Amino acid sequence: MSATMTSAPATNQRDGAPPRVPERRRQLRPYILALPAVLVVIGILYPFVLGAYYSILNYTAANPDPHVVWFANYRSVLSDPQFWTSVRVTAVFAVVATALETVLGVGIALLLNRASKIGGIFEKVLILPLMIAPVIAGTIWKLMFNPQFGVLNHVFGLGTFDWLSKDAALWSSILVDAWIYTPFVAILVLAGIRSLPKEPFEASQVDGASWFYTFRRLQLPMMWPYILVAVIFRFMDCLKAFDLIYVLTAGGPGLATRTLQIGAYEDSITFQNFSRGSTYMFLLWILVFITARYLVSVLGKAQRRAAGAED
Amino acid sequence: MTSHSQQPGWSRRDVLKAAGLAGLGATLLPGLAACGVGGGERHPNGASAVTGPFDWKAAKGQTVRILQTPHPYQQSFQPLLKEFTELTGIEVVADLVPEGAYFTKLNTELAGGSGSHDVFMTGAYFIWQYGPPGWMEDLKPWIENSAATSDEYDFEDIYEGLRTSTSWDFKVGSPLGSGGQWAIPWGFENNVVCYNKAYFDSRGIKPADTWEDFQQLARDLTDRSAGRYGVAFRGSKSWATIHPGFITQYSRMGGVDYRLDGDQLVAEMATDDAIRFQREWVELARDAGPASWTTYEYPDCTRDLGNGNAMMCYDADSATYPKNKPGASKEAGNLAWHPGPAGPDGNYKTNLWTWSLAMNAASQRKQAAWLFIQWATGKEAMSKAVRGAFADPTRKSVFDGAFKQTLGEFPGYLDTFERVVGESKIQFTPQTSFFQTTQDWAVALQDIYGGDDADKRLRSYAKSAEAKVNVA
Repeated sequence: MSATMTSAPATNQRDGAPPRVPERRRQLRPYILALPAVLVVIGILYPFVLGAYYSILNYTAANPDPHVVWFANYRSVLSDPQFWTSVRVTAVFAVVATALETVLGVGIALLLNRASKIGGIFEKVLILPLMIAPVIAGTIWKLMFNPQFGVLNHVFGLGTFDWLSKDAALWSSILVDAWIYTPFVAILVLAGIRSLPKEPFEASQVDGASWFYTFRRLQLPMMWPYILVAVIFRFMDCLKAFDLIYVLTAGGPGLATRTLQIGAYEDSITFQNFSRGSTYMFLLWILVFITARYLVSVLGKAQRRAAGAED
Repeated sequence: MTSHSQQPGWSRRDVLKAAGLAGLGATLLPGLAACGVGGGERHPNGASAVTGPFDWKAAKGQTVRILQTPHPYQQSFQPLLKEFTELTGIEVVADLVPEGAYFTKLNTELAGGSGSHDVFMTGAYFIWQYGPPGWMEDLKPWIENSAATSDEYDFEDIYEGLRTSTSWDFKVGSPLGSGGQWAIPWGFENNVVCYNKAYFDSRGIKPADTWEDFQQLARDLTDRSAGRYGVAFRGSKSWATIHPGFITQYSRMGGVDYRLDGDQLVAEMATDDAIRFQREWVELARDAGPASWTTYEYPDCTRDLGNGNAMMCYDADSATYPKNKPGASKEAGNLAWHPGPAGPDGNYKTNLWTWSLAMNAASQRKQAAWLFIQWATGKEAMSKAVRGAFADPTRKSVFDGAFKQTLGEFPGYLDTFERVVGESKIQFTPQTSFFQTTQDWAVALQDIYGGDDADKRLRSYAKSAEAKVNVA
């Protein structure tokens, strides 16, 4: 056996078979292959754990030699009305923006699915907002919103209506977010629609089902997993909204658009209270984590249902 | 296969699991051992290491890195940098970060204890934040060391209000001017009124000298249907909304932010007089200010002035000054300056902003850094820079000399400057929670603008600000 194995490499090479790897290297290979994954995990976990650690310190610019204060930051943040205002603003922004983008995105995808020349052009134009950085989009829209010389008030005859006033700023931010990201939902759902099998639709046509019945009982359940993927992406992203809103309003007027991310930025960067900022971020992470877990479980159910594995 | 599983020791799965745990441990351990927490050690002052006669070539061959924002000050100095290199043999690498992100970048760099930039531009209020953790070099020992500083430097030539504005001992209640010299004023600005003289002349009107007349004038000038409004001033959610026109007029009307009672600061923004003024300020914004006031920053204000939308602008003189340069704006050549409304007792208290140059305490090239600061804030370089768009110079000799010669096309600029400069200083009480409490002040004004009751909102703000400044 041993003699056969020693002479095997030469024979194998002549036969075109791969060269034999020494036993020691063969044993090490899985660990070497796992090393990048371990490094990635460390790379992800290190800032996360450090951030979580900051949240139990009293680390500020004025106190560069901090000590552990355990949950004092959490008590302080959770008892601060500004935090709860931020939670409300973040939730409203995420829910309304996601809902609006989903409804519009699905509608656009359904329209684009009907092949036409205009549809083809529209499909290409649709992707443009996605190619603009949110900061730039925010700047453009801020100018368009300007009551003095902005195009919107001029075109719609709105006089000096202030789009970024205390009552309107959050809704205006949602509008801009929808302008940027509705195409994302539309493109994702359109790709899903085009991958659906044709046979069930042909069968329903043969059976004389109406368009609405086919849509409600056949197309929508089959599209549902794709819609949910878009919803998960958008909802998670909206919970972390920062750049667009910061450019438009910096979280104002007052606290009208102060999301959790903006609160964390203000505490960490502007006010240099690093521990309090980390506490905001950690609480936001808990919110995102719980929501993501829930949405992924809903997606799993929808996928099983679409595959006919569940009623 | 069988022989592997029978070997004593760990299975492959065990080893991978252990590697994962080790990775987690490697992550946790340095974190929990406070690795990366804090801005590093405090750095000793480097001035005493410089001995012997003063020599501009003392750091020849070194490279000094400076962090700046693209500002007229920086742009006026950029062509002069080669003269510095010729004088000293020191290369200068200037990194530019736009103003909107500048302090975020600077805060992050200093908090990380990085000495990658030796010199940076800063404002006076930032010293109150960067000084206590030891991020800035005290420049007083450098100024006082004749081996490090040229005899011709003449620090006293810099306006006194500016020298004191960049000096503090970081103790609650101590006035500015006590303690170290944390930065050298480079350029500065007074917050005064710039107005559209051509339009004023066409209607035969003059700028207002009292606060009541100013409000009335701004309202009279406003005609929204013609795209014209009375006065532009900042209103965004930022500390920067408070520090130009607002705190200037607030101070002239007799207001202060805090008073010292024993060792505690007592907030004074909610006295009856203070509330009355702030209510009037917000009403002025609503009636005669920019229609989207709560988003307005200084570029928006000066843009509206330059475009002929705003008839007046209550902001920094150096921010409005470039709009009158030929070709710089639609209204170039039509603008003029006025000190703004005097206080009831005729005072012209004015808040100033100074872009100053500071040295990173973590710098490894402190002598080269100091030579750069000394050169840039010196008489010769500043006299050359004012021929560009550098306004206002911080040195009296430069203002009276080279700068005055450039002001022919700027009606009222010189008179305004001379009227306010004696009372121009930082009108805020220095305190280490400045950015938070002052942004909160802007938030309170925005809330009042949005409909909140001024009395209730300002009392609530004053209470929270008082708690923050005394905890810090």
